[in-house]
Amino acid sequence: MSFRTKVFLSITATVIVAVWIVAAVVSALVTDSFERRDSQRTSALVSQLQRELDRRGADVARRVEAVAQSEPIGRLAVNLGGQIDASQYFAVAQTLAQEQSLDFLELVGPDGAIISSAEWPARFGYKEDWLAQPVDWKSQPAFLKKEDLADGSALGLIAVRTVKAGDGVLYLAGGQRLDQGFLVSLPVSEETKLELYRNFDAPASANKLVEEIRRQPRQLTQVTDAASTTAIPLLSRDNQLLAILLIENSRAELVSLRKYIQGTAAAVGAVGVVFGLILSFWTASRVTRPLRDLASSVRDVAAGKWDTRARVASKDEVGQLARDFNGMTEQLVEQRDRMIQAERVAAWRELARRLAHELKNPLFPLQITIENLQRARNASPEQFDEVFRESTSTLLAELGHLKTIIGRFSDFAKMPAPELEPVDVNQIARDVVQLYEAQLATPDRAPVEARLDLDAEIGRVPADPDQLRRALSNLVLNALDAMPKGGTLSVRTSRQHGKVAIEVSDTGEGLTPEECDRLFTPYYTTKQRGTGLGLAIVQSVVSDHKGTIAVQSESGKGTTFRMEFEA
Amino acid sequence: MRRRVWAWLALSSLCLGQLAGETRPHYGGTLTVEETVGDQVLGSSLSIPVTEPLVRLGARGEFEPVLAVAWQHDPDFKRWRLSLRTKVLFHDGQPLTAASAAPSLLESLRPKYADVSIEAGGQALVIKSGQPMPSLLGDLTDAPVMRAVDVGTGPFRVAARDKFLAFDDYWGGRPYLDGVIVKTPGAGGADMVSIPIGPSRRIVPEGWTTWSSVPKALLAIQGVNVEANVLKALALAIDRAPLANVLAQHKAEPAFGLLPQWLSGYEFLFQYPPDLARARQIIAQLRPAPLTIDAPANDAFERSMAERIALNARDAGITIQFKPAGDLRLVHLPLQSKKPAFDLARVRAQLNLDDLTSLDGAPPEALYQFERAVIDKYHIIPLLHLRESYAISPHAHFHPSSDQFALHFEDAWIEP
Repeated sequence: MSFRTKVFLSITATVIVAVWIVAAVVSALVTDSFERRDSQRTSALVSQLQRELDRRGADVARRVEAVAQSEPIGRLAVNLGGQIDASQYFAVAQTLAQEQSLDFLELVGPDGAIISSAEWPARFGYKEDWLAQPVDWKSQPAFLKKEDLADGSALGLIAVRTVKAGDGVLYLAGGQRLDQGFLVSLPVSEETKLELYRNFDAPASANKLVEEIRRQPRQLTQVTDAASTTAIPLLSRDNQLLAILLIENSRAELVSLRKYIQGTAAAVGAVGVVFGLILSFWTASRVTRPLRDLASSVRDVAAGKWDTRARVASKDEVGQLARDFNGMTEQLVEQRDRMIQAERVAAWRELARRLAHELKNPLFPLQITIENLQRARNASPEQFDEVFRESTSTLLAELGHLKTIIGRFSDFAKMPAPELEPVDVNQIARDVVQLYEAQLATPDRAPVEARLDLDAEIGRVPADPDQLRRALSNLVLNALDAMPKGGTLSVRTSRQHGKVAIEVSDTGEGLTPEECDRLFTPYYTTKQRGTGLGLAIVQSVVSDHKGTIAVQSESGKGTTFRMEFEA
Repeated sequence: MRRRVWAWLALSSLCLGQLAGETRPHYGGTLTVEETVGDQVLGSSLSIPVTEPLVRLGARGEFEPVLAVAWQHDPDFKRWRLSLRTKVLFHDGQPLTAASAAPSLLESLRPKYADVSIEAGGQALVIKSGQPMPSLLGDLTDAPVMRAVDVGTGPFRVAARDKFLAFDDYWGGRPYLDGVIVKTPGAGGADMVSIPIGPSRRIVPEGWTTWSSVPKALLAIQGVNVEANVLKALALAIDRAPLANVLAQHKAEPAFGLLPQWLSGYEFLFQYPPDLARARQIIAQLRPAPLTIDAPANDAFERSMAERIALNARDAGITIQFKPAGDLRLVHLPLQSKKPAFDLARVRAQLNLDDLTSLDGAPPEALYQFERAVIDKYHIIPLLHLRESYAISPHAHFHPSSDQFALHFEDAWIEP
C-alpha cells in the first residue's frame, strides 16, 4: 500500500469517525430532547384528559339531576305507584335527553325494567339489573360505562340519580358519549394524534400495545421510528377495561431532524473524503517527493553515479535524511577514491612484485650464465666454446622466457573491446580442443582424455570469436595444468533460460575455497610458473561480453568453470 | 204556579234549541287538514271525493250504487250491462253519459282484462270481455269515472293542488263545506290533523277528539332466503303486544293473520302467544348465521320496530344486524277494502304471488287456506294491523254516516 493511500485512508477514516461521533452525539441529544418534550406533552395531556373527564362527569351529573327535577319525571314518579302505560313514556327519555343534551338517558322503574330509553327506545321493558344494586347513587360521581345500543355499543360517561316514586325508586341513568368527538375537545398539538380504542367491540388488535394493556391494564408507552404512543386504560366503575386512549406523538419532526443530521454528516463525510484525498495528495507530494528524490539518488549511486546528490528541500527529518545521504555519498566517493588509490598502489606493488619475481627468475640464470662465460674465458678454447655454446643457448632460452613474460603482460594490457558478431560457440569449443589435442597426446605427460558434450540447439551467440577463443583456451590450459597425472577434460555447451553456458571441467586435485575466492585476482596463481593473468583475462572477456563466470570445485574431484552469455 | 211552569218550559226550550243549534250542520266554511306527507302506510281515509266510481262497497261489504243505478250480467260473467244515474254533471258542466264515462273505465279495467270493451248507448254501458268477469263490480269500486284529469263528478272539485271547492251542481246535493284545504304538518291553524303511526308523540290539543279507523294495513316481516324454522322461531320470540301498545302507541293491533279479525272473522285461528323457550329450543338446534334486517334511519316507527324485533330475536338466540336490503324486511300491505277477497287479492298482487288459486267468490275456508299458504310459503310473519288516526278540532264535525272505515267530507261541516 502506497504512502499516499495510507495517508488518504488515515485522513478519511479520521474525518468519517469524527463526523460519525459528532452526528451520533447530536442525534442522541436531539432524540433525548424530543422524548422529554413528548413525555411532558403526554403528561400534560393525560392531566388535561382527567380534568376534562372530571368536568364532563360533573356536567353530566348536573344534567341528570336536572332531569330528575323535571316535571315529566315528577309526573312519572307519581304514576309509578299504579299501573303505567309505557306508550305514554316511550319518547319521554328522548325528549328529556334532548333538552339536557344527553346522549344517553334511561328511565328505569323500581323493578329494574326500562320505562323509557333515549339511546335505544325499543328496549323498553328490558331489565337494567346493575341499577338495582345497593349503591348511594347520589354520592357517586360520573363513571365510564359501556352502553349497549341497537347497532352496537358506545362508551359513555354516565351518572345515576334516583327519584322517590311511592314505595320504590325511579332510576335515571344519563350520560354523554365518549368518542372521537370528545377527543377533539382536548387541546392537542398538530403532532399529537388521539385515538380511542374501544375494548368491548374490537377484535384482537394488531397493536401490541393494546394487546399488552388488554392483558394487564396499565399505562404503557411504545416508541417506534414513526411515533411514540402512550396508551392509557379507561376503566369502568368495577375496574373493567372499557377503552384505551392512545396518545400518539409523531416523531416525524425527529425523524426529519435525524435524517438532516445524517445527511449533513454524510455530506461532511463526503467533504472529508474529498479533503482527505486532496490532503493525502498534498501531504504525499510534500513527504514522498523528497523520499522519491532520495530513492532516485540511491538508485543512481547504486548504478555507479557517485556524484549524485539528493535534493534537500526542507529542514525536517526528510531534509536531514537527504543531507545525511549526501554526506554518506561524499564519504563513499572519498573512500572509493582512497580505495582506488590504495588498490592502484597495491596493484602496482603486486605488479612490481610479480614483475620482480617473474623477471628475477630468468635474470638469475642469465647472471650465472654470464658469470660462467666470464670464468670460461680463462679456460681452454674447447671448454670455452662448449661453455659459450651452452651459455648462449641458456641465455637465449631465458631471454625467450623473459620475452614470453613480457608478451603476456603486454597482451593483458592490450585487451581490446570485444567486436560482437554471431558466433558458433560449439565450433569454437571444437577448435580449441582440437588445438590442444597434440599436447594431450605427447608421451612425456600423463594421458588426458578430451570430451566434448555440445548442445546442437544453442545456435549462435553475439560474441567476439577471438576473445571467446582466448578465454576458452585459457580455461582448457588451466584444466590441463590441473591434471599433471592425467585425467579427463570435458567441454560442454548448453542453453537454458535464454542463456548459453560453456563449461570446462577437469578431474584434477581441485581448489580450496580460499583459492576459489582469489582465483580471478590478477597475478594470483597457484602454479609454479604462472603469471596469474590467465583467469584474469578470462574474467575480463566474460565481463566485456556482459556474461558471468563461476567456479565450482571439490577437493580431489576436480574443478568446473562455467561461463554464461546472453543468447 | 202555571206561569212559572210556562216560564220554565220556555227557558228549557230555548236552551235545548241552542244546544240543538250547535250540532246542526252549517253551510259554508273551509276545513283545513294537516296531512302527513308521504305516509305510505295509510292515508286512504283522507280522500277528498273529487271522483266517484260506478259502485262502492257498503258498511257491510255489499255493493251500493253510486253513478250506476242498476247492473246485470250474463251467466258467464263475460257481459255486464250497467245503467248510469241521470242528471249527473261533471265538474266542467258536461253531463255524465255512457260515452263520457267509458274512456276512464276502460283505462282502469284493461290492466286486468286485456280484451275488455265497452259499448256506450245513452246512459247504458255494456262491458264485454272474452274471459269471465265475476269480480267486475269489485273492480269498478276502484275505477273512478273522469272526463279528464281531476274532472270528476264528486262533491268537491279541484281548485288547486291542495285546495278543493264544493261542487254546487253535485247530484247528491251541495256539500256543507265551501272547501277543503290540505296542508303539510306544522303549518298550523288546521281543523284536523293526521296522527302518524309510530312512537313520535303528537300532542292532541285539549278538547280535540281523536278518530281512529279500523285496521287498514298489515305490517309484517318477510324473510328473504331465510330458513323456515328460523322464521318460525323468530315469530315465536316476537312479543307483539309492546309493538302495538308502545311502538304503535295503541294505533295498532297484534296481527297473526294477513287480514284483521273484523274483516276475515278467522284471524284468531292464527294466534299464538310468545314462546321464548320454544324459540330458543329451535335456534339451539339450528345454530343459524346472523340475520340482517332493513331498519331505515329516516323512519322512526320502522326503525323502532326493527330494533325491537332484533331485541326479541336476541332473547331467542338469533342475532339480527341492521343492514339495507337485509334478510328480513318490513312490508306494508294495505287493507283498503271491506271485502276479504279483495284485500287478499291486493296482498297477492303486492307480494307478486302468481301461483295461488283465484279468490273471486271464494268461501272463508279458502281464504284462510290462502292466508296460511301465503304466510308459510312466502315467509311472512304478521306483526301489526295498523289503524289510521286523526285529531279533529271541536269546530269540525263529521256526519254520523262517517264510519270507522273512512271520513266522508261531503257530510262534514264546520262551525262558523
